[in-house]
Amino acid sequence: MISLYVGSTGGYTGKSLVSMGLGHKFKQDGFKVGYFKPVGILPIKVNTILTDTDAWRIYRALELKDPISEICPVVLTQELAVKSYRKDVKGLLAKVVKSHNFLSQDKDILLVGGYGSIYTGSFLGLQGIKVIKRLNAKVVIVVKYEGEYIVDYVLQAQKDLGERLLGVILNNVTPELRESVDEYALPFLKRKGVDILGILPHDSIVGSITVEEMNEMLGGKVLCSHDRMSNLVEHFLIGAMQVDKAMEYFRKTRNNAVIVGGDRADIQLSAIESGSVCLILTGELYPSEIIISRAEQKGIPILVVREDTYSIAKKLEKLSIRLRLRDTAKVARGMDLVIKHVNFPLLYEKLGMKT
Amino acid sequence: MLSNIFNPKSIAVIGASRTPGKVGYDILENIIQYGYEGSVYAINPNASEILGIKSYPSLLDVPGKIDLAVVVVPSKNVIEVIGQCGAKEIDSAIVITAGFRESGLEGAKLENELIKKAKESGVRFIGPNCLGVIDTHSKVNASFAAGMPAKGSIGFFSQSGALCLAILDRALPDEIGFSKFISMGNKSDISDTDIMLALAEDDNTRVILGYIEGVSDGRRFMEVASEVSRKKPLIILKSGITSSGAKAASSHTGALAGREAAFDAAFKQSGVIRAHTINELFNYALAFANQPLPRGPYVAIITNSGGPGILAADACDKSDLQLIPLHKEIVDELRTFLPPVASFYNPIDILGDSGADRYEKALNTVLKDERINGVIVLLTPTAVVDVDATAMAVAHIASLIDRPILTSFMGKKSVESGSKILMKYNVPNYSYPEEAVSTLHAMYRYKVWINRQEKTYPPLNKLKEKAVYIFDKVREERRERFTESEVHDVLNAYGFSQPKSLFARTSEEAVAAAKGIGYPVVMKIVSPHIVHKSDIGGVRTNLNSKKDVENAFFDITTHVRNIMPAAYIYGVIIQEMIRGGKEVIMGITKDPQFGHMVMFGLGGIYVEVLKDVSFRIVPLSQEDAHDLVRETKTFPLLRGVRGEAEADIEAIERALLQLSQLSIDFPQIFEADINPLLVMKRGEGAVAIDARFSIGGE
Repeated sequence: MISLYVGSTGGYTGKSLVSMGLGHKFKQDGFKVGYFKPVGILPIKVNTILTDTDAWRIYRALELKDPISEICPVVLTQELAVKSYRKDVKGLLAKVVKSHNFLSQDKDILLVGGYGSIYTGSFLGLQGIKVIKRLNAKVVIVVKYEGEYIVDYVLQAQKDLGERLLGVILNNVTPELRESVDEYALPFLKRKGVDILGILPHDSIVGSITVEEMNEMLGGKVLCSHDRMSNLVEHFLIGAMQVDKAMEYFRKTRNNAVIVGGDRADIQLSAIESGSVCLILTGELYPSEIIISRAEQKGIPILVVREDTYSIAKKLEKLSIRLRLRDTAKVARGMDLVIKHVNFPLLYEKLGMKT
Repeated sequence: MLSNIFNPKSIAVIGASRTPGKVGYDILENIIQYGYEGSVYAINPNASEILGIKSYPSLLDVPGKIDLAVVVVPSKNVIEVIGQCGAKEIDSAIVITAGFRESGLEGAKLENELIKKAKESGVRFIGPNCLGVIDTHSKVNASFAAGMPAKGSIGFFSQSGALCLAILDRALPDEIGFSKFISMGNKSDISDTDIMLALAEDDNTRVILGYIEGVSDGRRFMEVASEVSRKKPLIILKSGITSSGAKAASSHTGALAGREAAFDAAFKQSGVIRAHTINELFNYALAFANQPLPRGPYVAIITNSGGPGILAADACDKSDLQLIPLHKEIVDELRTFLPPVASFYNPIDILGDSGADRYEKALNTVLKDERINGVIVLLTPTAVVDVDATAMAVAHIASLIDRPILTSFMGKKSVESGSKILMKYNVPNYSYPEEAVSTLHAMYRYKVWINRQEKTYPPLNKLKEKAVYIFDKVREERRERFTESEVHDVLNAYGFSQPKSLFARTSEEAVAAAKGIGYPVVMKIVSPHIVHKSDIGGVRTNLNSKKDVENAFFDITTHVRNIMPAAYIYGVIIQEMIRGGKEVIMGITKDPQFGHMVMFGLGGIYVEVLKDVSFRIVPLSQEDAHDLVRETKTFPLLRGVRGEAEADIEAIERALLQLSQLSIDFPQIFEADINPLLVMKRGEGAVAIDARFSIGGE
C-alpha cells in the first residue's frame, strides 16, 4: 500500500482537481484506491457526520465506499479554531494516524489531500510536512503556474521533502505562460533533479463558476430564471460605458456575467440581448419589469446585490482564485484534463507501481 | 422690505438703448408704456435722448435721487455700474445682464466679484441673468417681458425666466391678475427666502407662487416658509428631482431616501402647498386668490351628467375630502323641483336636461346644508343648457357666500364664454373635474395647516450624556460603523427596549447563554465585516433546545466561513426571541440640503420593494411624529385588521421622537436604522430587534 500525498506550496492550486483525476485514472487502471484528508477546512455535516466538503466531493466523484467518518478526522470548525487558539488541543495527530491506518486496509494506493500548503497546520500540531513523514507518504506537489519564480518554492519543498517528493504538476498554465514553462521552468527543474509529472493547461470551463455558487458568496436576491442558476460564468464584465460600446464589449466575451448598477436599464438590456449569462445588479436597485421579463425569456438569472459595483467586482476577483469543484460538468472535465496531461507512465514508475 | 425694488419713486435704466428689439430698449419702453408715474432716467453715454427721455452719460451725472437701478450693460461693465450705485447711494438694483455663473468659469469669477462689490457698495440686487421685475400696483414693469399682467393679488417668483414668460402669456387672455412678478435669475444676492418674506408682508399679495429648482440653505428655507405660510398660501412648483444617486447608500434608510423625500418632507413641515405641474400651480393660484378656504372636508358635487360626477367623486375619495350625504330636509327640498330620476345623494345629478335655473335652485338648496364646506359645480355642454346664464347664476351665488365654489364647465368651444364669465366674477373654472377636486383639496389642506396647533417638542434632552463616550470612541478610532454592542448601548441610552442578549464564542458558551436567557432564542453572527447579517445566512430564529443551538452555531459559522473566508468571526449573539408584534422600520438619514431626516415605514423583508416609507425633517414635533406614522399606506395594519389588536402606536411615536433627539444630539450621525422594531399591542411598547449606525460627513 502506498500513501500518495497531494500537496502544494500555497493555497488554491488545484489539489482537489488533481486528486480526483489521479484517483480516477488509478481506478481505471485497476487499482484499489482510497481518499483521505487529514485536515479539512470546509466543514459540512453528511447525515450528522462532520466531515469536509472537498473530501466529501472527491469521495463521491471516486465512488468510494469507506465510512465517511474516517475520510476527514479533523475538521476545522469555528469551534475547533477558537478552542485551539485558546489552548492546545491534544491528540489530533493520533486521530489522523488512526483514520489513515483504517483506510489503508485493502487499498493499493491511498490519496492523501493536503490543506493549504505543506507548511500550514502547525497551530493544530498538524503541519503538512509532519503529517507526510508520520504517514510515510510519497508526495506530489501541485503548483499553480504564475511565472518562473514558482521554481523557488519547488526547490524549498524538494529540500524539505527529500526522496519523498516524486515531482510536481504545474496547473493552470495559460497559453501566454506556456513559453515561460518550456524555456525556463522545465529545463531548470530538470537540472535540479525535480521531475515534472504533468502540465495542466488553463481551462475556462474548469475555471468557471456557476451562477448559484456566485450568488451564495454575494448574498444576492435572484429575480428570475431560477432554473438557470447552473449557468457557467467564465468572465466578469463591468457595465459602465455607453450602450453602443457596451454591446461590442459584451459580445466578444464568452459566457460573461455583467456587473452593473441596478438603475442602468440601457446596459442591462444590451447585456441581455448580447447573450450574457447572468446580470449582477448593484446598489440594491431593482430593475423594471420589462428587464426582468426579457431576462426570464432568455434564461438569464438577475441577481440584486446590496453593494456597489466596485465592491462586488473586488469580491468576485477574490472568489475566482479559490474555485471549488462542485458542478458535475466541471468535475468531469477537470478529471479528463488531469488524465490527459499527467505523465502516468512516469508517475507509476516513480511510485513503483505496475499496471 | 425691498420697497425700492417694487415701489421706487425713480428708476434709472443703465444701458438703455435706442435700438428697438434690444433689451435695453424694451425695458425702458416697458417702464414708460405701462404708466409708471415716478421719474425715469436713461443712462447711455452715446445718446442724448431715448424714447423721449433725456439720457445721461453715467449714473453719477443724474441730478436727482434714484431709488432703483436696472442694469442692462454688458457683463464686464456691471461691476463698475454697481460701484457707481454705491457712490450715488442707490440701495436697490435689478441686474438683467447675463454672462455670469450660467456661462462658465469666467462668468462665475465675475459673479463672485459682483457679489463682493455689491456688498461693499451697500447695494441689494435681483439677478443677474434675469428677466426683471413687475409690480402691477406701483405700475413698474422693469422687465423685457411682452406685456403687463392685470392688477391682482397673486405674487409670483421664479428661478426660470422662461417660466415667467409662459405664465404671463397664459394669464393675459384670461386677465388673471398678479400683484408682482419676479424673475430671480442666478439669485446671487436676493434669494427665494428674501422674496418670500417680502411678498408675505406685501398688502397687495394674497397668494404667493413660486418656481424653484433647488434651495441653497434647506433649514433657512423651512424657517421662512413656515413663517410665510402662516400668513398666506405659499404654492411652490419644484423641479429638478432625481434620487437615483442617493439610492445606493449602504443601509435601508439611505436606500429609501432621496432628495425628493427631503423636499416633500420640508414642504409638508413648513406648510408649503406643493404643485407638481405648471397647470397645478396655476389652478391652485386661481382658487386661493379668489375663493375663501373651506372650513372642513365636506364637499358637495352638482353635475348635469353621471360620468363627470363619478370622476369627481373618485378623486375626492383619493383625497382627504369627503362627499357626505345631504340632510334629509335638503334632499326633500331637492325632490320638489328635480325630476324623480335625478340623483339626490352626493354627487347630485340634476340630469342632462338642466337649464340655468335648475342649476341655480340646486346650488342654493345644497348650500342650505350648513355642513357642506365647499361645492364643485360640473357642467357638460348639452344642447339644452344655457352655459352663460348658468355661469352667471353660479358666479352670483358664489359672490354671496363665504364658502368656496369651484366649477368645471367641461369642453372648450361651447363653454368658452361661460368660463370667461366665471373667471371675471372670481370663480375658478377648470377643464376637468379632477382639477377642481385637487384644487379644493389643496385649499382644505392649507386650512388644516393654518388651524393646526402650535408644534410641541417633548423634552428629551437629558439622554445625550450616557451616549457621548460611545460616539467619542468611534470617532477616535476613525471608524464609520458602530459595533453591535455600541449600537445596543446608544439605543439603551435613548430609552429603546431591546431583547435580552448575551455574547458567545463557542457552541458551549452559546448553549449556556441560551439557558440563561430562556428558550426559544435567536442566534446572530457577530463580525465587523458583516453588516447585513441575514443576507449571508447569519441569523437563525426560534431555537428551542440545546441541540438547536449547537446546530445553529455550526451552520452559521460554517456558512459564513465558506462564503466569506476573509471575515473575522467574533462569535455569535444569543438573543431573547420576541414573539408577536408587528414589524416596522425607522431610521435617520442625512440630506445634503436639509440635514437629518427621520424615516418611518412598515418593516419586514419587503420594505425595499414596496418603499412604503415616509420622512420628516428633524427636529420632529409630537405632531410630526403623529402624522408620520399615519402617512404610510400600510398604517391600517397597525390599527389592526380583521379583529386584530391595535399596535402600540404611541410607542412608535415615542421612538421616532427619540431618534429625532438622537440626531440632534449627535450631528455626526450619517445613517441609522432600526429594522425591525417590533411593535407590541397597545400599551405594551416596542422592541428594537436589530439596528445599524454609522457616522460621517461632519
